[in-house]
Amino acid sequence: MKTVLVIGGGVTGLKASHELAEMGYNVSLVEKQDYLGGQVAKHKYYKLAPDMRLVSEVLDPVIKNVESNSNIKVHKHSTITSLSGNAPEFKVKIKNSKGESEESFGAIVVATGFEHFDPTVKQEYGYSRFKDVVTNAEVEELLNPNGPTKGELKRPSDGKIPKKVAIFQCVGSRDKQVGNPYCCRVGCVVSTKQAIEIKEKYPDTEVYVYYMDMRMFGRGWEELYGKAMEEYEVIFTRGRGAEVTLKNEQLSLRAEETIMDRPIQHSVDMIILAAGQAPGDGTIDAAKVLGIKQNEYGYLAPKDDFLSPNESSKAGIFIAGADKGPLDVENCIVEGAAVAAKVASSLK
Amino acid sequence: MAENTDKMVIDGVELVGIWKEFLPSRILYEDVTTEFLDEVKKLPGGATIARCYQCGTCTGGCTLPEFVDKFNPRGFINLVRRGHYDILVSDYKDLVWKCVSCNRCTHRCPRGVNTQEVVRAIAKFLEDRKVFGKLTNDEAFDEIFMDEVLTDGRIDEVKIVKDFYSKTGRLKDMMSGDQLSLGFKMFTSGRIKLFGGKIKDWKKVSQKLKEELQ
Repeated sequence: MKTVLVIGGGVTGLKASHELAEMGYNVSLVEKQDYLGGQVAKHKYYKLAPDMRLVSEVLDPVIKNVESNSNIKVHKHSTITSLSGNAPEFKVKIKNSKGESEESFGAIVVATGFEHFDPTVKQEYGYSRFKDVVTNAEVEELLNPNGPTKGELKRPSDGKIPKKVAIFQCVGSRDKQVGNPYCCRVGCVVSTKQAIEIKEKYPDTEVYVYYMDMRMFGRGWEELYGKAMEEYEVIFTRGRGAEVTLKNEQLSLRAEETIMDRPIQHSVDMIILAAGQAPGDGTIDAAKVLGIKQNEYGYLAPKDDFLSPNESSKAGIFIAGADKGPLDVENCIVEGAAVAAKVASSLK
Repeated sequence: MAENTDKMVIDGVELVGIWKEFLPSRILYEDVTTEFLDEVKKLPGGATIARCYQCGTCTGGCTLPEFVDKFNPRGFINLVRRGHYDILVSDYKDLVWKCVSCNRCTHRCPRGVNTQEVVRAIAKFLEDRKVFGKLTNDEAFDEIFMDEVLTDGRIDEVKIVKDFYSKTGRLKDMMSGDQLSLGFKMFTSGRIKLFGGKIKDWKKVSQKLKEELQ
C-alpha cells in the first residue's frame, strides 16, 4: 500500500513528507498544533548557526514544499489515538476537534521531536523566581524581529537592554540530578550564536558564557566559537554556574573559574539558561499509542543504532529526528530524507 | 524583580543568608570586567590575546617554570581577560616580565596567539599603571648616568642634574635659590661648563657598547 502516515509537522516530518510525496507516495501528515514547523516555529527561532542564516530561509521552503504538494494531506490540530494491524497494513485513528476517523497506511514515520528542558526544577538558577533569568528559547523569540519585542533584547523585568549578560551552559543536560545525563548537542553552538547576535546588536553589552566544555563538533561550529572570542569578545569561562541570587537588587551569579581555582561572584543584568533537550510530550504519547520501544530517557529507541537507525522496534514503523535524541535543525533535515528513503525501500 | 531579597529560600530552607553567616565563605572574586582586555588588546603585540582558548600549550612547553615555577602565560591571559587585575598585580607583577622570549609558546599555539608578544603587552600594561613602584633616587641617577655615558661618552653636569631632578619629579627644587647660587658659583669658578664636550666618532663606540649590554 502506497500510503504513509507521518506523525509530527516539525522540520524532520516536513522533510520526510515532501521526499515521500516526491517519490509518489500518498502522505498524511499529522500535527497536533495548528501550525507547521514544530519547535522551530513555536519559539520563533531567528537565525541558524553557524552561518547566521535566517530560519525563514530554511523553514519556509520546507513548509511550502509540503503545503503545495497534492500528494500530502496535512491534518493540523490532530493526534493519533489508536493503532491496529501490522505492516504493511496499519489502521490508525486520527482525532481532531471534529471527531475521529480511521485510515489505513502502509508505513508510519514518527517524527515527534523534542521539547526544551524546563529549568524551573533547577531551583538554584532561579528560573521563574527571577524575571530576568530566561531560557535560550525565550532569547530566540526576543531576538526575532517578528517576536514580542520586535528583535530588541529587552529584559523582562523593566524592558531595559542589559549591559551584562551571562549564559549558563548545560542546564538540564549532563545532569543526573534531573535524569538527563546526556549532552544536548546544540546548547554550546546556540549560546555562541546568541552571544554573537547580542554583541552584533549591542556592542557595549558584555557577554559571559559559563561552560563545562565547549562541544563544537558540528560543521563550522568550532570556527564560530573562535570568531565569538576573537571578533566579538565574548568571554568564555570554564566553570558551571552554581547559583543565582539577588544582590543589591541585581542578579548575582556564583561559579568557580575552574582553570584558575577561583570561586567568583558576578553581578549581571540578565542570565540566559542554555536549556537542553528533552523528549517531547508527542514523542512519549506516540510511543505509548504505537507500542514502540523507548530508551531510558524517553527517546525512541532504534532497532539497531548502527545498522538500522531509522527503524523502530516494530516492523513498518520508522523513527527520525529529535525524537531519537537531541539533534540540530541541519541534521533533522538529513534524518527526514534518510527515513523517507528507508520507508520507500520497505514499501517497494 | 520577583523577589526583593538577597536570600534564596527553597522549600522553606534559606540557602544563602543566615545559615551561612556562621560558616566561613570561600573567598569570592567579584566584578568581572572586560575593561583590561580591551586595554591590553590595544597595546603593541596584544591584539591576539582574544584568540586564546586556554588549552595551556604555552605554559606546558614554557622554558621558565623550571626556574620560575609560577610563570604561567595562560594564567596571565586569563586574569586579564576576566578582569582580575588585583590578582595579576599582587601575585604576578614580578613574574610577567621574566619571559625570555624563546617563542616556543608562540610557535606551538593552536589558536594563533602570539603569546610572547601578549605576555610582553601584559607587562607593558602593568608598567603603564606604575605597579612596579617609583624609582628610588639612586636608581634614577643610575639610569640617567648610564644614558649619558652611552649617548655622549662624557658627563655633562648641567644636563645630568636637570635630567635627574626632572626624572624624580623635583624640577621645582632645582630652581630654588640655594641650588641656583651654588650652580652659579661652580660655573664662575670653572667647575662646570654650560655645554659638555663631544668625543670624536663616539657613535661607533656607543653602538658597540649598546650591543655588548643587550
